[in-house]
This record gives sequence, C-alpha cells and structure tokens, in this order.
Amino acid sequence: MLKKTWRFLTSMKFAILLLAVLTLACVFGSVIPQGGTLDEYLGAYGERGGALIVGLCLDDVFHSAWFLVLTVLLVCDLLYCNLIRLPSLFSRMKRFRDPQTAWRLSEAAQAFDEAGTPAGEEAEPKPARRRQEPAVCTVKQVPDAAAVFETLHMKPVSGERAGRKTLFAAQNSVGLWGAWVTHLGILLLIVGFTLGQTTRQLYTVHGVPGQTLPVGDTGCTLTINDFDVSLTDSGVASQFTSDVTMRDPAGVTESAVVSVNRPGDLFGYKVFQNSIGTAAKVTVTKDGAVVQEEVLCAGDYLYVLDTPMALFFDGYYRDALDFGGMKADAFAWSTYYNGVYSETRYQAEGETAISTDSIRVVFSEPQSYTLLQLKRERFIWLVLLGGLVTLAGLVLSFYLQPRRLWAEQTEAGWTVHGESRKGGALFRDRLREAAGENGPKTT
Amino acid sequence: MLKAESTLFYLVLGCYFLAMAIHFVFLAIRKEKLSKLALLVQLVGLILHTAAIVCRGIAAGRLPLTNQYEFATSFAWGLCLVSLIFARRFKFPVLGAFVAPLICLIIGYAAFQNREVRDLMSTLRSNWLGFHVSTAIISYGSFGVSAVVSAIFLFRGRMRDDHFWGQHIPPREKLDAISYRSVCLGLLFLTFTILSGAIWAEQAWGSYWSWDPKETWSLITWIIYAIYLHLRLGRGWRGKSAAIFAVVGFVAVLFTYVGVNTLLPGVHSYR
Ligand code: HEM
Repeated sequence: MLKKTWRFLTSMKFAILLLAVLTLACVFGSVIPQGGTLDEYLGAYGERGGALIVGLCLDDVFHSAWFLVLTVLLVCDLLYCNLIRLPSLFSRMKRFRDPQTAWRLSEAAQAFDEAGTPAGEEAEPKPARRRQEPAVCTVKQVPDAAAVFETLHMKPVSGERAGRKTLFAAQNSVGLWGAWVTHLGILLLIVGFTLGQTTRQLYTVHGVPGQTLPVGDTGCTLTINDFDVSLTDSGVASQFTSDVTMRDPAGVTESAVVSVNRPGDLFGYKVFQNSIGTAAKVTVTKDGAVVQEEVLCAGDYLYVLDTPMALFFDGYYRDALDFGGMKADAFAWSTYYNGVYSETRYQAEGETAISTDSIRVVFSEPQSYTLLQLKRERFIWLVLLGGLVTLAGLVLSFYLQPRRLWAEQTEAGWTVHGESRKGGALFRDRLREAAGENGPKTT
Repeated sequence: MLKAESTLFYLVLGCYFLAMAIHFVFLAIRKEKLSKLALLVQLVGLILHTAAIVCRGIAAGRLPLTNQYEFATSFAWGLCLVSLIFARRFKFPVLGAFVAPLICLIIGYAAFQNREVRDLMSTLRSNWLGFHVSTAIISYGSFGVSAVVSAIFLFRGRMRDDHFWGQHIPPREKLDAISYRSVCLGLLFLTFTILSGAIWAEQAWGSYWSWDPKETWSLITWIIYAIYLHLRLGRGWRGKSAAIFAVVGFVAVLFTYVGVNTLLPGVHSYR
C-alpha cells in the first residue's frame, strides 16, 4: 500500500494532476477578486458563495496555505524526478551514441514486423514509453547510404558488422537533457521566487514635495524634494519623476532621481516610482481655532486630535458636484467615529463642512502625490537564472532532438534505419524522402 | 503616414478575405493553381500588413504594439507568418485555407477597435515592450496554428476516402507531429514573453510577479501546454486526445489575450 502510494506520488500521472490543480487554483485566483472583505464577497456571491470563498481562502489564493502546500509538492516532485533520473541520463546518452543499441533496436523492429511485438520495446522497456509509436524507421535497397546521411546533415562513422560494411551517426544526444534542464530551471524559479518573497524588505512611501517621511521601521527617512508629472500634448501622463533624499539613522544622506522604468538606488534599496495619486491640504478647526493642518493623500486617514473622530480622504473627482447645472470638482472624504464608518461627503475646494458642533473641515490645494516603493530583494538573480535555465531546457527539448541513423550494406543495396526521439512522423518522412532522393524507394 | 496605414490596413483586410475566398474555391473546385494563388495573395497580404505596421510605427514614433487594435492586427500578422512558415516547412499549403478564417476573424476584430494613435502611458515606455509583445505575437500565432492543425486532425477521418484530401492533407500522424511542433514553438516563445514581462515589471513597478490577471493567465496557458507535453510523453496522448487538448489550450490563449483585458481588472487592461 505504502509502496503503491509512493509510486503514485512520484509518477508523471501525479505531476500532471498537480499541474492541473495548480491551473485551477490560478483560475480561481484571477477570476475571484483577491484581497476583498467578507462583506464584499457576501454581497457579490451570496451568503453561501461568500462564506465558501473566505473559508477556502479563495480570496487570497496565492498566499493561502493550500497553495503553498501544492507548490511544495511540485518542488518535491520536480526535485525527486530530477534526482532519480540523473544517473540514468548519463547512461542513456552513452547508450544513444552506442551503435550496438541501435542495431538491437532495429533487430527488435524487425522482430515486430515478423512476430508482432511492438518495435523498440526491448530497447526501451519503461512502461511510460510503451504507448509510443515505433521508434525505428527502415528503408531498404538504398544505393547510396552516405548521401542519405549527408542529406540529413549527419556525419557517419564507418564500421563492420558480421562482415558487412556499416555506417552510424548519432546527433543531438545532449537533447536528452532537455526535460531535466527544464525541470531544474523551474525548480530554481520557484525556490528563488519563494525565498525572495519571504525575505524581501519592502516599504512604500507616499507624499508630496517638501514632506519628510519615515521608511517603515528602518529608522531612515525619505524627503521628497520634487515630484514632476510630464504630460504629452494630448494630456497623457508620459512620465513621473521623483527627486528624493534618504537619510539613514546615522545622518548620512543619499539622493536619487527616480522615474517609471528607471529605478534608483539608495542605501542598497532599489527605489521605484510605483504610482501617483491625489493629495490635498486638510484644515481642521475647533471652535474657530486651527487645530490641525496637514497634507493628506488619497487613501489616508487623519485622526482628529482629542476626539474619537477620523477623516478618510477618498480622492478628488472631476465634476462630481452639480450646482444647478454648474459642475465643480470635489474632494470626497468620509468620517469615522471610534473606528465606525459614519458618512461620505463631496466638498468643493475651500468649502467648509461642519462635522460636529465645534469641528469644521476644509479641503484645499489638490495636488499629485508620489508613491515610491523601496525594496531589498536578494534572490532575483536566482529567479533570473531559473528563467534562463528553463529557456535553455526548452530549447534542448524542442530543438535539439536526439536522432540517429545507421545503415548496413546488403547485396540489394543499403538498409538504412533511423530513430528520432520526438521527430516521429516528420523525421520518418524526411528519412524516406532522403532515401528516395538517393535511390529507388522500396519501403 | 497614418493615412497610408489606414489604406494599407484595408488592403490587408481585402487580401486576407480574398485569400480565404480563393482557398475555399480551391477546396470546392479543386484546381491546383488556385491553392498557389491563395497562398500568394496571403503572402502579399502579409507584406502589406508588415508595411502597415511599419507606417503606424513611424507615425506613432514608437512600436505599434500597445493597445487592443495594435495587438490584434499584430496577432493576425503573427498567425499569418507562422502559418505560412509551417505550410512551407511541412509542405502543407492547404494549411493556409484552414488558418485563413482565424486570421480574418482576428483582423476583423481589429477593424472594430479604436484605431486612434494614443500617447503611451509611462509604464509602456520601455525597451522591453518590443521584445515582450513580439514574442507574444509569435507564441499566440504558433498556438493558433497548432489549434488549426489539430482541428484538421479531428476532421481528417471524415475525409479519408477522398483522393483529393489524401493528396493535400497529410496523414493524421504527420498532422499530430506538426501540431506538436507548433506547440513547442509557442511554448518557447511564451516563456520568452513571460520572462521579459517579469523583467520589465520589475523595472516599472518594482515587482516582477504580482499575480495580476494577465500574468496569471499567461502562466495558466503555459502550464496547460506543459500538461499537454507531459500527457504526450508520459501518458501516450497522441492523436485525438492531444488534438482536442491543443484546441482547448488555444481557448486559454484567446482568453489570455481578449478575455483578461475585457473581463478581468488589472494593470494590463489598457484599452
Ligand atoms: C511546471 C512544471 C513542469 C514543466 C513546465 C515541465 C516541462 C517539461 C518539458 C518541456 C518536458 C519535455 C517534453 C518534451 O520534450 O516533449 C518534460 C518532460 C518530462 N517531465 Fe516535466 N515539467 C514540469 C513538471 C514535471 C514534474 C512535477 C514532473 C515529475 C514527475 C515531471 C516529469 C517529467 C518527465 C518524466 C518527463 C519526460 C522526460 C523524458 O522522458 O525525456 N515534469 N517536462
């Protein structure tokens, strides 16, 4: 029982199943909006659907425990497959270049013709190979075998077998490594990605020029010296550029100019111009006196001092207000009391909103804020290496297909045999054609 | 330049539809010359199409590979190119007749898209754009060819006794092998697309992989074709099952291309 389970877990059948389940997981992760709240799912998918989505972590598929388990299983499977196949690959390569195995293969093929056993079975007894098409193609009575080798761009080595002249050529045996290299690349990719995600330090800082902001818990600060949005003639934002200075806890500073597709480097952190948004100045007065005045970015809260009240700035919207046909842009903001949502208002620039008997709120000076991302990630090189190795593996698998030709001189001319690991019917056609071009085609 | 592009685009549209019509007439009346003529018209279409893309590129001052229209016409271009190469390489000219409706469908879809040249948003201003999108075009084109060849495979049985079909459509095992070859090409180029996209995303957003729907769907497509390879190699899935799988795989490709942009939200949903 245990042996059977192990056999299944290490079989290609299981690998395919795993890949199929991963595909399904990805479908769920892309079709169901990720990172929503329970209320949103209940609203969109109903009582049962919403509960199911949250219960099965379908709201955060790619960070869920079961997705991690699937990934770990895939890694183990790939690792195991590659490890156990490593020694046999060397011998397979050696065997592929050995004319003796070729002759055994063509003899087996002949036995099949005569007695009805599948060709190539003796040479490749693995069950996985059993269902494949016969590996050998034979053409008889070819007057000039060397020409066939030449047409197929294969350089033959002459030999002798039972007193008969022979030719043999094996090509692309390195292609036998294709799947192994591909799997190694995927392993490196997954391992690099997972290590990178779990060990990276990632901070986002957003603000407007003039602000100095903390960089997470690093003790560093980032000062936004300038922020510029370049517009094309048609008003499309073609580039965002931030000029920033970072100061470490010891007081050392470094500066960089960062724009989209041109990250900067500050104290070993890569700094990216990630996005932009709207900011506004918000002024809070209490009993007529200004108690707070701050620049607030869309998506941020302002906790009103000495009150249970918080303001949330939703954003600045074009033509959101209508004063009897006159449109006006508006700041949208919400109030929370003791953390509980109260209401959302739309307010024109400079307009005073009364929140409680004594508190008044004014939004003004809409402007763009810059959102920068600071990242230290150590395993990107591993991911890149994994990608390149995967590519190399695919090229080996698909474009260096192992094939060999061997021929024997008989009284009636040459008998030429060919084997291609994956070329199948296409290779057989090419061989027959080459043989046909170089003499009468008889089989 | 844009005017020239517009004129060329209609000529291309005309060529592709004309080629499809000639291919169909050839299949109906079986005159060999028509097949050659249809392929020639298709080739002329491809050359004009290349000129149209170049004109648009000059007019826009950038690679014309960024919005739905530009990508749709490039997709049709890629499909036409790959199909002509496969038709020649595998001595299978009738392939053109079966790919033509798909090309017409895609170029027709392009015709209904907004053709205005718009300025590029900041993230698209990268040297990686050209590589990323052109590998995607070749990849989608190859998967398209594999789906068409697989569809021919599935209908091949009904054509069995006919001398004409026997002469023009390769035997089923060769069709199977051609479909496999085009999947290999598609998968290789899809890998290039995904990798270059990741490198670009790292520069633009600071995250080479963020499970954005387009990224996720290209990964889904990639895994689906990896499953196809394993089923062939490990489970002996050849012929009919492999052909059905290749057709289904192409549905994933189409979804990655059209469905994601229109149905799912994300950073790639530029219209
Ligand atoms: C994302 C995951 C995977 C990808 C992209 C992948 C890719 C490939 C490729 C490209 C080939 C060569 C196919 C061909 O030449 O036609 C291959 C073969 C193979 N794969 Fe995978 N593979 C994956 C996962 C796995 C896993 C988890 C296993 C574990 C059992 C596995 C086992 C094999 C085996 C046994 C072969 C046959 C090799 C041969 O006989 O030459 N693969 N794979």
